[in-house]
Amino acid sequence: MLLLSALVGAAVLFSLGVLLSKDNFYASLFMSITLVFVASVYALFDLQPVFVLIVFIFVGAIGIVTVALAATYRAAPERQFSWVWTLPVVITAFVIGFSIYRLTPQSAYSSTFEFELINFISATEPITEPLLLILFLMSLVVLLLLSVLKIGIGGTES
Amino acid sequence: MPAIDIMSVSVIYATSFAILLVGYLAAISSKDVIRLLISLELMFGAVFMALIPLFSVAFLANTAFGIAIITIFTSSGELLVLISAITILDKQKKDIHTSAITIGGDRV
Repeated sequence: MLLLSALVGAAVLFSLGVLLSKDNFYASLFMSITLVFVASVYALFDLQPVFVLIVFIFVGAIGIVTVALAATYRAAPERQFSWVWTLPVVITAFVIGFSIYRLTPQSAYSSTFEFELINFISATEPITEPLLLILFLMSLVVLLLLSVLKIGIGGTES
Repeated sequence: MPAIDIMSVSVIYATSFAILLVGYLAAISSKDVIRLLISLELMFGAVFMALIPLFSVAFLANTAFGIAIITIFTSSGELLVLISAITILDKQKKDIHTSAITIGGDRV
């Protein structure tokens, strides 16, 4: 519980860094770190396949492209934020939060759930279905990446 | 596999909501499309975090893993399309600010 609280706390703090950072490059770095912390929560609950997918596909591929893009266009620090709307937003959030707190009945049961990921990825049988799904989706992402590269190189003229 | 109690589920959902809210705020306050892309990725991170308690239901664990795989790949594809749109916008307008998008959408 302590480790979980530390991980989610760090994730929220780094996500706040995205909001408060004025430079796109640092914002994208904070976003990548937040996603790595989100993936770490999966690893904490022994869900390593999802951890690997998030870290290698989402952060490793898309996140790095975003960081590279943000490093290219980092000189755009201005943001539109009206301080006039801060007070109504805070009051509305407080009213909504308080009403949810009052309406939601306190949970009477405190049970534990067991994670079961053993049937999807079996140790004895060959993993065909998830492997096939991942392969198909991976090929889709590679095709999209190729089209992005084509646009980036300059293939839109034809 | 380790168990998860109701308190951890509450913490995970609260964190997911907080990250989603930060993503919304970053998207609303952004003036350039790069910041919009970053906030979108943050929102997808919140969605990934909200999927964790789904794995704790025994008969839903396999479905949850399938949902997680499809979510990760479709969001990656969506973000790649957005990246290519940003590249095209920069090629055509020589500008990445949201104010450069003059056709379509609402003017406020």
